[in-house]
Amino acid sequence: MAAELRLEGVDFSYEETTPILEKIDLTVPAGQFVCLLGSSGSGKSTLLRLLAGLQFPRHGQLSWNGQPITGPSLERGVVFQDYALFPWMSVVDNIAIAIGKAQPKARKAERREQAEACLVKVGLENAIGQYPFELSGGMRQRAAIARALALRSPVLLMDEPFGALDPTNRARLQDLLLEIWETEVPRKTLVFVTHDIDEALYLGDRIVVLGSTPGRLIADLPVGFPRHRERRALFDNAEFHALRESIAETLAADTLRQLVAA
Amino acid sequence: MSETLTAPPRGTPVAGAPGDRQPERTTSAPRRAASVPSALLAILQGSIVWIILLALWFAAAKYFPLGDNPLIPSPQRTVLALQESLPELWEGTLSSFSILIPGLLLATLLGIISGIYVGSSALLQRIFFPFARVAAPVPPTVYVPYAIAVLPTFKLSAIFVVFIGAFWPIFQNTAAGAHALESRYRDNARILGLNSHEFHWKVVFPAALPHIFSGMAVGLGFAFILLTVAELFGANAGLGRFVQYYADFADYPKMVAGILYTGVVTYLAMSGLEAIKRRALFWHR
Ligand SMILES: Nc1ncnc2c1ncn2[C@@H]1O[C@H](COP(=O)(O)OP(=O)(O)OP(=O)(O)O)[C@@H](O)[C@H]1O
Ligand SMILES: [Mg+2]
Repeated sequence: MAAELRLEGVDFSYEETTPILEKIDLTVPAGQFVCLLGSSGSGKSTLLRLLAGLQFPRHGQLSWNGQPITGPSLERGVVFQDYALFPWMSVVDNIAIAIGKAQPKARKAERREQAEACLVKVGLENAIGQYPFELSGGMRQRAAIARALALRSPVLLMDEPFGALDPTNRARLQDLLLEIWETEVPRKTLVFVTHDIDEALYLGDRIVVLGSTPGRLIADLPVGFPRHRERRALFDNAEFHALRESIAETLAADTLRQLVAA
Repeated sequence: MSETLTAPPRGTPVAGAPGDRQPERTTSAPRRAASVPSALLAILQGSIVWIILLALWFAAAKYFPLGDNPLIPSPQRTVLALQESLPELWEGTLSSFSILIPGLLLATLLGIISGIYVGSSALLQRIFFPFARVAAPVPPTVYVPYAIAVLPTFKLSAIFVVFIGAFWPIFQNTAAGAHALESRYRDNARILGLNSHEFHWKVVFPAALPHIFSGMAVGLGFAFILLTVAELFGANAGLGRFVQYYADFADYPKMVAGILYTGVVTYLAMSGLEAIKRRALFWHR
């Protein structure tokens, strides 16, 4: 039984006639931080939904630690692309309900305390009692991240979690995520979808690129920069720019191929 | 038929409702100065129909066909009759509400519970919808004579009929709301590992609340209609009974007073529900 997230020959389609994902083989060792890139519509969110257990492949197998994925589990936390908080619950209640499921023994006051701590962590100390409709898009996204962190799941699946943030908060949350990931023992296994190559290079141990129609793996690159990375140092690093170029080219080629096909 | 029955209570213009606010038109004038006349204007606009109706009533009572027609009591006489009957009307209100409230509560409770579970389960929908589609549109007034004949007391049969009338719209709207649950909330609930009870009452129920309140508004309208219809048949007190009683004695001032009074009570009940809805749905949009 290997501690890993594993996809073997995964085919997926919503409707039988239009394949969305084709023959995906991917093994993510436990504790690895994988960034998933790919043009819009290539199937990144779909792949994440399969890993979450919200959708099932037509062919092939998904497993976590050797156990087939048969449905959602608290072992695999998710931050959705549309950060779906429940609008009828206050921000802190949205987090507390997650904590209640992850730690059924925790008392109500305890849950609330932890939930507040999670919100402070993502810089939402002023929004604790507010409702999602009172928050900006970026604040809601931070609350969704706080909720995923509150689950303390060994696997975290994140779908463009920083997409709606301003650069300052984006950098802050990237660092927060890295800090949590780097200090936790054992480390979380992270699958992180993004459109931002720089972000992927700053965060990931590995970058996987999904090509489109149908979605398949077109690149799988290790990112070897030592940890406790610094943005400034990365930008002065020639290898960083080479990787960045190569990924950009891969993505551009995929887009071009798609245009030619259409 | 049910559509036309419910139209009046829902269509009644509600003075001072947020929807009545006028969009600001002036751009150069200072804001505060512009908003006071526009509020006044809204009140004036909302009063037009009332003023015309009142004028028509005064005129009809005075001149139609030759003045002092017993079928059209003058506003003054009606107000006097109203004053005189207030104690009796209050008794009637209590009696009517002792039917309305249990019937409505039961309909709301059962309508919401069954609607939430049926609406969020494909299997339960297949089982219950074919029946509901036939049973729900039956005008509930047709049950009145039978209920009165079958059930031991008038009160019980009236409660039953009010229940039937209010249940279907609440059930159907709740089920529709539960069925329309956005998939991201469903996914969320699954990711968090919510159990069936939590899923239905912490997710489906609040998500369906806007639908539920629409159903309750329709249900409340039906409840009043059925209540008054039932009272015409066999009550010895109540609002519908009051109107019927004085109509039988051709005491038209009292009858018209009873109609006006019932209108006010219905309006107040609707406004109460509207107020609850606004509080409960503060998070909505
Ligand atoms: N529920 C659905 N039913 C049918 N087709 C769907 C559904 N959800 C997504 N698709 C299709 O699957 C394909 C992949 O969608 P997906 O959301 O996974 O893309 P993505 O890579 O996440 O895109 P983006 O970067 O824009 O978020 C798209 O062509 C989309 O139209
Ligand atoms: Mg996506």
